[in-house]
Parts: sequence; C-alpha cells; structure tokens
Amino acid sequence: MQNDYLTLALCKGNLLRSTLDLLAAVGLPHEGVAGDTRNLVFTFEDAKLKYLMCRPTDVPTYVEQGAADLGIVGKDVIVEQQKDVFELVDLGFGACRFVVAVPEQMKNVRLKDLNYRRVATKFPRVAEEFFRSQGMQVEVIKLHGNIELAPRIGIADMIVDIVSSGRTLRENNLVELAHIMDSTTRLVSNRVSFRTKFDRIEPLVKIMQQKVKKGENP
Amino acid sequence: MRNREIPKGLRDFLPDEVKIRRKMEKKALDLFRSYGYKEVRTPTFEYLEVIEAGTCRDIREELFLFIDREGRIVSLRQEMTVGIARMAATHLREAVFPQRLCYIANVFRHVQPQKAQYREFWQMGIELLGASGSRADAEVINIAVETLRTMGLDNFRISLNQIEIFNSLLAESEMTETEKKRVRHLVEKKDLVELARVLNNSHCDDELKETIARLPVLHGGIEVLDQLGKVEKNRRASQAVAELLKVYEDLQAYGVEDYIVIDMGVLRGLDYYTGIVFEGYSSELGYGLLGGGRYDNLLNQFGFACPATGFAIGMDRLALVLEEPDEEPAHYLVGGADWKQVVQKAQALRAQGYMVETDVQTCTREELERKAQQIGNCQVVYLG
Repeated sequence: MQNDYLTLALCKGNLLRSTLDLLAAVGLPHEGVAGDTRNLVFTFEDAKLKYLMCRPTDVPTYVEQGAADLGIVGKDVIVEQQKDVFELVDLGFGACRFVVAVPEQMKNVRLKDLNYRRVATKFPRVAEEFFRSQGMQVEVIKLHGNIELAPRIGIADMIVDIVSSGRTLRENNLVELAHIMDSTTRLVSNRVSFRTKFDRIEPLVKIMQQKVKKGENP
Repeated sequence: MRNREIPKGLRDFLPDEVKIRRKMEKKALDLFRSYGYKEVRTPTFEYLEVIEAGTCRDIREELFLFIDREGRIVSLRQEMTVGIARMAATHLREAVFPQRLCYIANVFRHVQPQKAQYREFWQMGIELLGASGSRADAEVINIAVETLRTMGLDNFRISLNQIEIFNSLLAESEMTETEKKRVRHLVEKKDLVELARVLNNSHCDDELKETIARLPVLHGGIEVLDQLGKVEKNRRASQAVAELLKVYEDLQAYGVEDYIVIDMGVLRGLDYYTGIVFEGYSSELGYGLLGGGRYDNLLNQFGFACPATGFAIGMDRLALVLEEPDEEPAHYLVGGADWKQVVQKAQALRAQGYMVETDVQTCTREELERKAQQIGNCQVVYLG
C-alpha cells in the first residue's frame, strides 16, 4: 500500500469496459488504460492515483493484503474467495447469477435427487455451501474452465456456474435446475485503507452510489 | 527431506529477528511498568470450557484443539485476555483493585497463513482490572498510543467507538431477532451492499434504518458524533455517546487526541466487548496493528464480577512496519595461543559491557581477521 497514492485493482477482461465507463462517470482519469497491453500498472501523477490490472480472481487478494486500497470486482469472485474486505457499493453492472445446471435430458429431475452426485465447478466454495444449505452432500470437482463440457464427457452429473444470458448453457444442452444467488460488480476496500484513506475513499463511495442510483453507469 | 518441514503458518526466528523482538519487548515492558502494570503468564493451553466461556461464541474452527489423556478437550490459547480473566477470578479476588497486569506471549490460531497472518504469533498487551469509567479507558488507550510511539511509529491512528451505541439502537428497533442477527453480522463484516438490502426489507422505521446504515461509515473527528442523527430517543444509546465523548475528553489530558479518530464501524466481535472499543492502524500495513476495549462481563463468566479494559498489539505485524534498528556497538573477537590470557582479556572486555566472543578453535590472526570481516562491525584482539 503506497501512502500518497490511492490504488485501485481493476479486472482485465469482460468487466473492464464498464469499469472504465464508471471511472469516467465519477471523474477519475482513465486515458490510455487498457487491459490488452503489457502494462500492468497505470499511474496518474496529478490525481495521485494508480490502477493495477489484475485477473478478476486476484482482486480480492490484492485488496485484502493492502497491495490495492480499492478493487472493482464481481460478487461472484468475492463470495468464492471469502477474503476479508469491505464491500462498499453495488455498481450494478456485470450482472449474472450462480445456478445449478444439468444436461437437458435430466431437466425433470428434482434437486433432492442429485444427492451424493458429482458437481463440476470453478466455484467449489459456493457449490459446497449451497448444497450443504440444502442438506445435501455432493462431490465437488474443481475445474478451471469449460465447465459446460464436464457432464458431456461424463466427469460430472451437473455443474455450478455463473450465467448471464444463458446462451452458453443452451449451446451445451444444459438447463438451469436451481438458482443459487445473483451477482453484480462491487466496489471493495481494504479494511485499513478505508480508515487511513477515508478522506479520499468516502467521497468516491458517495459519488458512485449516486451514479448507480441514477442509473447513469452502463 | 520431510524431516525438515515445519507445520504450516509457523516460523523460525533467526538471531537478527529475535534481536528486533527483544528490543520491542523491552521497550513495551518498560513502558507498561512505568504505568504500574505487572507482567503475568498463563498456561499455553487451557480447557476448551474456559476459552468458550470467555468468548461466548463458536470459534472452534480457529482453535488448535486436542484431547488430553483424561479425555478432556484442551485448546492452545488463541489470545491472552480470557486466560488472564480466569486467573484473576481464581487468584486475585483478595487483591487491591484496580489491578494492572501485562503480558508478552505467543498465541495460536488456525487461520489461513499469509502475510501478517500466522498460526503462531506474538502479542503484547495490558489489562486494567477492577476499574470502570472513562479515566480507566483513557489510560489504556493512551498506553496503546504510547507503545506504538515508543516503537518509533508515528503514522498511525487509533479508531475509537462505543459499541453500546450500535447495540442499543439495534436492540430497541422493531426488527425480528433473525434480522437483528443478520444486520449485526453485516455491519461487522462491513458488507454495505447486503446491509442496505436487508435494512430495506426489514420492519423498522426509516429514520432508524438510515442511522444504522450510516454507522459503519461514520468516521472522523469528535464532531462526527453530531452526524449520528436521532439517538436521543434511545436512552442507552445517548448514554453511550456521552461516554464516548467523556473518554475523548479524558484522552486530551494526555495530549494524544491527534492520534484518535471516532469510527462507528469498529465493533470487534460484538459478543465479547461491552463498551468502549478501539483498533490501531498504520497506513503502512493493510492489517490492523492492535485492538482492545472494555469487557465488563468477562470475569463474571468465571464467577467474579469485575469491570475490565485492555488491549493487545500484534508484534509480528508491528515488526513489519518498524524501521530497521540502529547498528549495535562493535563487538570483539579475542584469540591467541595462550588460552588463559585470551580468557582474561575477554572477561575484562565483558566487564566493560562489550559483547565478546572468544576464539575456541585456536585460529591464526589472519583467520580471525577474515572471520571478523565476514561478521561485520567486529574487532579482533589477538594476543601473543
């Protein structure tokens, strides 16, 4: 954590476009910030601001450890990582939901009937906790990508994944069986930065809340 | 080579690190002593009943538990306050109160190891037993400030709160017990997004909702108390606000108010503390440095009603933000052919207060010179 600067960890990838629009909307500099360059740190001297370009799953870690004061990241990542960060603003964009999905031919099955089955997911904690809360036990198989493939090649009976439009599920002949929770992008803060840099963070929180309320951000 | 491994989250301390720790310990103990605090030690492990009676909530996941040969569950101590409370309730009933006690100890928590978070770590702290009132709180908070300053730290702040403000507002709201529990949890976690949602759907009047939603982000000088909104309808809450104000005033006598920030978001495990609570932060580190507060019900858990307040500093975290210590004075390496002469010379230098190593391997002058160079800041005395 660097004292003079306010450091924000931003997600490369899908969220970046909307994130940059948000930064613009709240009057923060963003010229030249891009996720596809080799540049991983963008510094704005006049504004005393730094952006760290991260993989989404790393954002909570950066913020928890104080490498960044603030982070902009999806709730899906936050719940899976269970890092100790303050969750300040629901930014509204990047909406998606956690679901349990099964192959189409199983669409009439009840969730209860899937007790003791195997579930493939990138989100083992979310999956584990959801099934436990339903009084069920499942075998969780952690994969890093192409979760939709798992039932087709027979390594799992169902999947837990995030879905936004539902197109990927349909293309892979999967149907949604249960809804676990909704997710949107959040502004998170390091516990200490929130206090030591309160004078810079609090106005930012206020203005972001206003923008979100008015629906000005994408 | 599995026999070289140590359990996850534990550490070895090499001489240079221990030297820093010893210095920290000495400075802290000298300071605590100057305020009349006497050092105590409690067992490294205690019966689980003791720890659970003290903390009043389920923390088993964090504890290192094992079963002794009589079949009772014991736990490595996860902090010192509960052990000291038990000790005082057993052995200090007849003592003159207030009792001022301090400690330096290693404690154990089964956490995910990472920077500034270890499974065995060191704490130093004080407990002021048998005194209620703002002056006792002010003394303890002032010692927390002084400890950090004595260590050479200056860019830190102490966040101060009185948890009864939040507790009584919540208690007297019309929310259901489930809702209260949920709100409590979310405020502790500072999940403002979910908190707003829960408050929105809850059964209580809008004014109170607004106040509760604002509490976790009320932060600043003593004047933020004016922004609290409507607490005067709630007798307990307004008393707590008055008490917070009084502690702040009492702290001004020590001249440390510049380090103090009022922060309604500091709650520190709501079941344990009963009044004033505080935490210390440095802008150099993303984790808290110290924490403490008033725990007037804890000793009663062990059958001895006695108000108490105190704090603990995480020494491992503190060590991460301290500057390198100043160079040690030179030390001597004494060698030579005549052992008796070598010993006499070394003893004479030691008597003058120097750190002196004698050469026990009968090296030549050249060999000793080379060694001294490798050690650094070391002078050779070769006799003969």
